[in-house]
Amino acid sequence: MLHAMKNARAGLLAGRRGRLMNAGLALLIGFSLIVLATKAVALGPAYFIQIVVYGFADGSIYALIALGYTMVYGIVELINFAHGDVFTLGGFISLSLLPVFGLIEGQSAGPEVILPLLAIFVISMLACGVVNVTIERVAYRPLRHAPRLAPLITAVGMSFVLEGIMFLWRGPFNLHYPSLLPADTIALGPTGATIAFKDLAVIVIALVLMVSLSLFVERTKLGKAMRATAQDRDAAGLMGIDINRTIAATFFIGAVLAGAGGMIYGLYFNNVVFDLGFNAGLVAFTAAVFGGIGNIQGAAIGGLVIGMIQSLSDGYFDSSWTQVIIFAILILVLVFRPTGIMGMRVPEK
Amino acid sequence: MQRRVLSFSALSIGLALIVGACGGGATTTPAATAAATARPAATAAAATAAPAPAQEIIIASDFPTSGADASSGLPAQNGAAFAVSQTPEYKGIKISFLPFDDAVNGVHDPQKGAQNAQQMLSNAKVLAMVGPFNSNVARAMIPVANQGALAMMSPANTNECLTQTFPYCDPQPKALRPTGKNNYFRIAAPDTVQGPAMADFVLDTLKLTKVAVFSDNETFGKGVADNFAKRLVAKKGTVTNRQDFDMKSTSDFKAFINAAKAAGAQAVYAGATSATKACIVRSQMAGILDVPFTGPDGIGDSQCIKDAGANAANMYFTNAAGDAAQNPEAAATIAAFKAKYTKKEDLGAYTFPAYDCALILVDAVKRAIDANAGKVPTRQQVVDAVQATKGLKGTVGTYAFDANGDPTSATMAFFQTKGTPLDWVFVKQFSVQ
Repeated sequence: MLHAMKNARAGLLAGRRGRLMNAGLALLIGFSLIVLATKAVALGPAYFIQIVVYGFADGSIYALIALGYTMVYGIVELINFAHGDVFTLGGFISLSLLPVFGLIEGQSAGPEVILPLLAIFVISMLACGVVNVTIERVAYRPLRHAPRLAPLITAVGMSFVLEGIMFLWRGPFNLHYPSLLPADTIALGPTGATIAFKDLAVIVIALVLMVSLSLFVERTKLGKAMRATAQDRDAAGLMGIDINRTIAATFFIGAVLAGAGGMIYGLYFNNVVFDLGFNAGLVAFTAAVFGGIGNIQGAAIGGLVIGMIQSLSDGYFDSSWTQVIIFAILILVLVFRPTGIMGMRVPEK
Repeated sequence: MQRRVLSFSALSIGLALIVGACGGGATTTPAATAAATARPAATAAAATAAPAPAQEIIIASDFPTSGADASSGLPAQNGAAFAVSQTPEYKGIKISFLPFDDAVNGVHDPQKGAQNAQQMLSNAKVLAMVGPFNSNVARAMIPVANQGALAMMSPANTNECLTQTFPYCDPQPKALRPTGKNNYFRIAAPDTVQGPAMADFVLDTLKLTKVAVFSDNETFGKGVADNFAKRLVAKKGTVTNRQDFDMKSTSDFKAFINAAKAAGAQAVYAGATSATKACIVRSQMAGILDVPFTGPDGIGDSQCIKDAGANAANMYFTNAAGDAAQNPEAAATIAAFKAKYTKKEDLGAYTFPAYDCALILVDAVKRAIDANAGKVPTRQQVVDAVQATKGLKGTVGTYAFDANGDPTSATMAFFQTKGTPLDWVFVKQFSVQ
């Protein structure tokens, strides 16, 4: 009886503290928005729209990487540090395939470019998938029942192995990625703002991929198996689901999205470098945690939000502050909502 | 995680060393106009029989001459060798040339440079040296050479901290010279000159006043960007917007470019090098901001043209040395050089600056011999003679040195991307104080 009362009071206190914290968070976000709004008004609407478009494009790329982190974490509770480098690998593989398909700098983007680009896109995605499945088979599966730190360190090791391979393959320098998407812009209303075809292409491709992933997970048998495995691996196994195959499929799909992201990154930013995945991966991982690790919608939204924060910070404050702002927001969100904005989805113990 | 970050930064530092610190990259100079008039014979005496104890003075050189760096190091070495070969003897004393290579695994290496300096000191005949090519190599060599009072003469070092005292210098020039006496000279304009020179060029030659400025936030890049902005503002120009990027974590420059566009920027100045993504900014300007792109000598290489991709036209950079082909008096020397070194890759942007360095040293050695009553002088006497150089005419400049070892007047050249395929082409040059 006394125990129950104590519990109830603790719950009440926690609830009150939670509300207070939520109010604090809202106040802080509100304050930053006001500061942002005053700056935005000063620089005009066209500039603001441009910055938001960049935010969406950056965010889409982060979202594509973040999905791989979140899916893998959701199913095996492993932070796959090599994931960021699989993303870079997508950029490298597609870059090497461009001349094979006869695509060079300065080519006008007509129908004759779209088909080979699409072919390269698919090949790079599949290649990244195969690489990631191999990594899982060689480096993670043997350690699945080992203490949690063992696969984590292996993942860090795999990250260095991939970076090292790309370093030896193409050298330490920035590699120029040919600009193959047309530089045409589309006017947005009477404000003078424009949206470049490049930005639009990135956003659309990423959206298509994310929607297909969502449909795949919700509608297909394998998707169902993945959800079941994520929920309770042992029970799923008892129900006759092939756990190894399902986990391999998760790594494959995650890497396919990252590979796509790598190629889109190259086409969009026109450069790749061997250690690109370190930073991009870190930010994408942040996005996954931000959205609630293990939660697919959360990763997509987290990626977009971080892309937007980055773009607004670059555009209205100073780019040297961008990383500080992103991680400050991450810390705040985790303090007030430890499960991320959309809630965690991790295996039940 | 911490460990990963640590080892990663160790890796990055290693890479930074590989990529190179000086930024005095190889640039292509236009072919020299040939007007072959015979060069007056430089040989002085007709002493066919050398004195019994063969007296010899060696002028050494130190450049990266193997591997990837050889593309800029070998042409410089050729220039120095050629200059020394024109005075094989003076008053019965043989003058010869001895090249050293400071590249390890194809990349210039400060440690190797210091070892080379040690070897030069241990050879009593070596009285002076031409080089080195890279500022970080110079930083390692100066303290060693200083202890033996070996005169150093660099055609390409631009780091201002090698000679001048600024609060941010580490190490300070004083610390590089343990004996307290200077033994290091150079003919290249220090980095402090490049920014203001480009500001003048943008204002006076390109006739543009509103410039967006960014930097890679490194000593060299931020330095030139600050100096550029200072001069621009002093001459009534406007810095539309300024960003100092952390290039390790940023490859998205679109927000900066858009802010520049919104503020009406007519040009962009890059306080960065090809190794720190300067020209990736250029490639991302495509379709957003179509204005000239300017920067220091760190962007003056083929990597930059590659990075800029389809948007490589309309770029400019300042070079810390002049272009010999622009000096009509140098035509004969250039022709003689080309007769001896016939391959295209024998000649580089720093060939004739290195030639001038050797010329200054030979001249100083000659004067030192005179002052020493025709006997082989000491190293300190050679250093003093170099310091006393006045109005010596070379192929790319006329030389005298201040107490720091800097040229009292250096030549600054401008290059621009032009032609098909695009390449760096000489625009103009002028003398700076």
